[in-house]
Amino acid sequence: MSVAKSYPTSRSLPMGLFWAAALVLVAVIPWITGSTFHFHIAIMVCISAMATGGLAVTAWVGQLSLAHAAFAGLGAYTSVLLVTRFDLPVLLGLPAGALVAGAVAFVIGAPLLRLRGVYFVLITFALNELFRLIMLDVPALSGGSSGIAGIPKLSIFGMTLSSYEEVYPFALLCLALVMGLLVLIRKGQLGRRFGAVEENLALAEASGIPTARTQNLAFTLGSAIAGFSGAFLAHYVGFISPETFGFQLSVSYVIMLVTGGRLALWGPLVGALFLTPLPEFLRGAVEYQHIIYGVILIAVLRFLPQGLAGLPAQLSRKGDRS
Amino acid sequence: MSFLIAQSLINGVILGTLYLLMAIGFTLAFGVMRIVNFAHGEFYMLGAFGALIGVTWLGLPYPVTLALTIVFAILFGAVIERLVFRPFRNDELSGMIASLGLAMILQHGALILFGPDPQAFPAMVSGVFKWGALIVPKSRALALGIGIVILLVFYLFLMHTRHGRALRALVQDQEVAAVFGVRLEIMYPLGLGLGIALAAVAGGLMAPLFGVSPFIGATPLLKAFIVVILGGLGSIPGAALAAILLGLIESFTSSFVSASAADIVIFALVIGVLLVRPAGLLGRAEV
Amino acid sequence: MKRTTILAAASALAMVATGALAQETLKIGALTTMSGAGASWGNGMKRAAEMAAEDVNEAGGLEVGGTKYQVEIIAYDDSYKANEAVTAANRLVFEDKVKYIIGTVGSAPILAIQPITEENGVITMTLGFTAQALGEDKQYTFRPNPTTAEVAQPQIDWIVANQGVKTVGALFPKDETGEAIAGDLSAAYEKAGATLAAKEFFERDRVDFIPLLTRIIAQGVDAIELDGNSPVTAGQIVQQARDLGFEGVIIRTGGPATQEIVNVAGEAATEGMFVHSAFDPGVASAKAYEDRYVETYNEPMNGFSPFFYDGTKMLFQAMQDAGTVEDTEAVKTAYENITDYEGILGTMNWTGADRYGIAHQLDSPFYIARVTGGQEEIVARCTSAGCE
Repeated sequence: MSVAKSYPTSRSLPMGLFWAAALVLVAVIPWITGSTFHFHIAIMVCISAMATGGLAVTAWVGQLSLAHAAFAGLGAYTSVLLVTRFDLPVLLGLPAGALVAGAVAFVIGAPLLRLRGVYFVLITFALNELFRLIMLDVPALSGGSSGIAGIPKLSIFGMTLSSYEEVYPFALLCLALVMGLLVLIRKGQLGRRFGAVEENLALAEASGIPTARTQNLAFTLGSAIAGFSGAFLAHYVGFISPETFGFQLSVSYVIMLVTGGRLALWGPLVGALFLTPLPEFLRGAVEYQHIIYGVILIAVLRFLPQGLAGLPAQLSRKGDRS
Repeated sequence: MSFLIAQSLINGVILGTLYLLMAIGFTLAFGVMRIVNFAHGEFYMLGAFGALIGVTWLGLPYPVTLALTIVFAILFGAVIERLVFRPFRNDELSGMIASLGLAMILQHGALILFGPDPQAFPAMVSGVFKWGALIVPKSRALALGIGIVILLVFYLFLMHTRHGRALRALVQDQEVAAVFGVRLEIMYPLGLGLGIALAAVAGGLMAPLFGVSPFIGATPLLKAFIVVILGGLGSIPGAALAAILLGLIESFTSSFVSASAADIVIFALVIGVLLVRPAGLLGRAEV
Repeated sequence: MKRTTILAAASALAMVATGALAQETLKIGALTTMSGAGASWGNGMKRAAEMAAEDVNEAGGLEVGGTKYQVEIIAYDDSYKANEAVTAANRLVFEDKVKYIIGTVGSAPILAIQPITEENGVITMTLGFTAQALGEDKQYTFRPNPTTAEVAQPQIDWIVANQGVKTVGALFPKDETGEAIAGDLSAAYEKAGATLAAKEFFERDRVDFIPLLTRIIAQGVDAIELDGNSPVTAGQIVQQARDLGFEGVIIRTGGPATQEIVNVAGEAATEGMFVHSAFDPGVASAKAYEDRYVETYNEPMNGFSPFFYDGTKMLFQAMQDAGTVEDTEAVKTAYENITDYEGILGTMNWTGADRYGIAHQLDSPFYIARVTGGQEEIVARCTSAGCE
């Protein structure tokens, strides 16, 4: 990570207000158009942004996980199995999914995080494959390759959220909670510790930061968020299979994170907001859709190392210079 | 039983050699440029299409086609280095993410150009060699033979030419190599080009065995990954050892236990090796 | 975008043909796989719908209850993934307001979109082989192509009786579909008087079958069965089995895939292979469809395509019988009530009440063919009752 070495500095207050207003405006689009399909897309944006937010937490300590989909899958299966087999309310299934994903990440995190850089990427890649293979091998639990269909819908306190219009506010609330957690981490003492670990591991270690514990904490938190988003996805879509949580889903989270801004606080949200609706504009040009993705990814890496979230800052810097 | 052991041994060695062709290019690209190339499998796929075009469309002899595939792949690799990877030198993570994008572009580009259906590749040879109960298909023996020749030529190039020595110096230590006058402007494109050429020629060799379609790159990429993780990123002897090992494990577990057991055993092994020896069996420790 | 050009051309034609008559548009969704490994099936389905639409549009539109409709096909890709399919289905149902969807290709996608389509009374026509796709609680889902469950027994009876096959070896993908097919085939061979003596399971993306085949052939089987495998995998198995010197019979029960298998394995390896075929080039209408497909799209026809052409045409007839395009419950009932439909493949009827609890499975004639020089040569004609 050469270019985007340090966190972007926080912007001035009026700028922040402007962006907050813009976000609110985007968030209410479905209500303005009243289109059920727009509600669906908005909900998918919320779910992707949550998952990518989890990935960001791990990225803040300088590690990129390609097992993020596996943790989402872990959360999804946990919640679905608890809800369908033990009649747990869905509202408890979601945090249970987060808990299990986080616990697994905590246990395997210690040995895993001794690996750095591409080695960590490679082992998480292998883990994601292993998760998929093992899930395929236990059809009694996972439904095998046919998956599990007819998953109970989201419900709060016994009230089922049957329509998209009802799910969306709940999705927004969950997203707000996740983003709130991210802000808390980032602005607090933990954030500074994360930043120090990301920037220079040896230096952080020397200045008394417990780097191993810090990285594991980030990995645990990030994977727990993934588990939560996976559980949400399962109850919203109503269908999961081991293939749902394969390598490609992990890659798509990475693409959203990188496009949004790997180290920016709002990167995950911006990335999800930009990339989730994008296929809808490209459905007619379906053959070119993935090529366009690839080009966007490479172009962002090349020209916007801080991602789309860093674009305003980058532009204003250019403006200052000229 | 002893027949099955001998047959599994032969199958395993053949498989291992084919995996080695894939893995060695992958590990070379990493050794030289520090890039984990997720698009490596797509170059295998393009090589297979290249061979298909040469043999069935242009009617060229198979060896000529393979030679042309190598030449074009080296040139293509140099272009890719210039267009995609050059900005990410010394930035392993960005380079790797860029390769994910490149893989998407190449695979779906091939899909648009050639369509999703598998294409017929004419058999180069048919029949089997038999020693008692032991059987080796001639098509595999041919792929094995050409593969070994290519690996030998590559070995001689690395050991006994100026560029080969420069590449090895780069793998050993970038800075020292630069100090001693290794020209990075030539060596980076050459390293990636050679790595890609090995993947492409592997595709050309295996096209008659496994068929050709835009989606054939995923499995060899996975195998190369496993081999390179086991052997150590950037280590060529490590890749050789790990490739043969992988071929044997696959062949024996498939023949004596079951095919799905083989996959889980291999992934468990990969994770075990990474945890105990992160740099792989023969790799150098990082940092 | 293909759909707009077709529509434009068709409506231009229609203008000439019908003059000032009021034109309405009937939108039909095609939610199939157009990228990734399932794309050859997906394209076959989408194009079947497009050609069926072209037929009625060229004739001036589909006349239902006194109104003429131009049929517009709206095609979306699901990449063979359940999540993508859900998003595309949402868009089709709520944004494009379609009432009919040709799709999906995969089993997982159809199970994933059924909560949306069934609840909103959208008629779907899937290729997915899973038994769960059809059911009494899934009133709006139909399957116009026979699956292994429909064709296995008559075909296996015939082959066992005529080829003297006693023991069979088979490889299946290690997943629920593979295991289900393995169970079905085992029972079918047993019933026919043979045994499925050697079974092997493998991960779906495997390409090297030599170790597994070594084991199967060592057990001295008379035949190798390919059912349950994707066309590419089946082709690789054929080629590698012949490479290992296997000289017995190779059988493909269920799922038309001969062209792809020949492409992968080559003509020599596939010589003498017995395959399931849904397609008799001797039937003039079927041959005409294939020619038209190849001419229009410049690609070989996917074996499932004709089923979806017939299925779509039957759906048009159901709309006309019901006299509405809006009331899908009436259309669904009319669709169910169609009997002895003369399609391009032959005479079609609904079946499946015993097996699925609902008669939404199309029963069509099929054939056993022997592959000669890379081409199918029909050796027996079958219905679900038996082959001769």
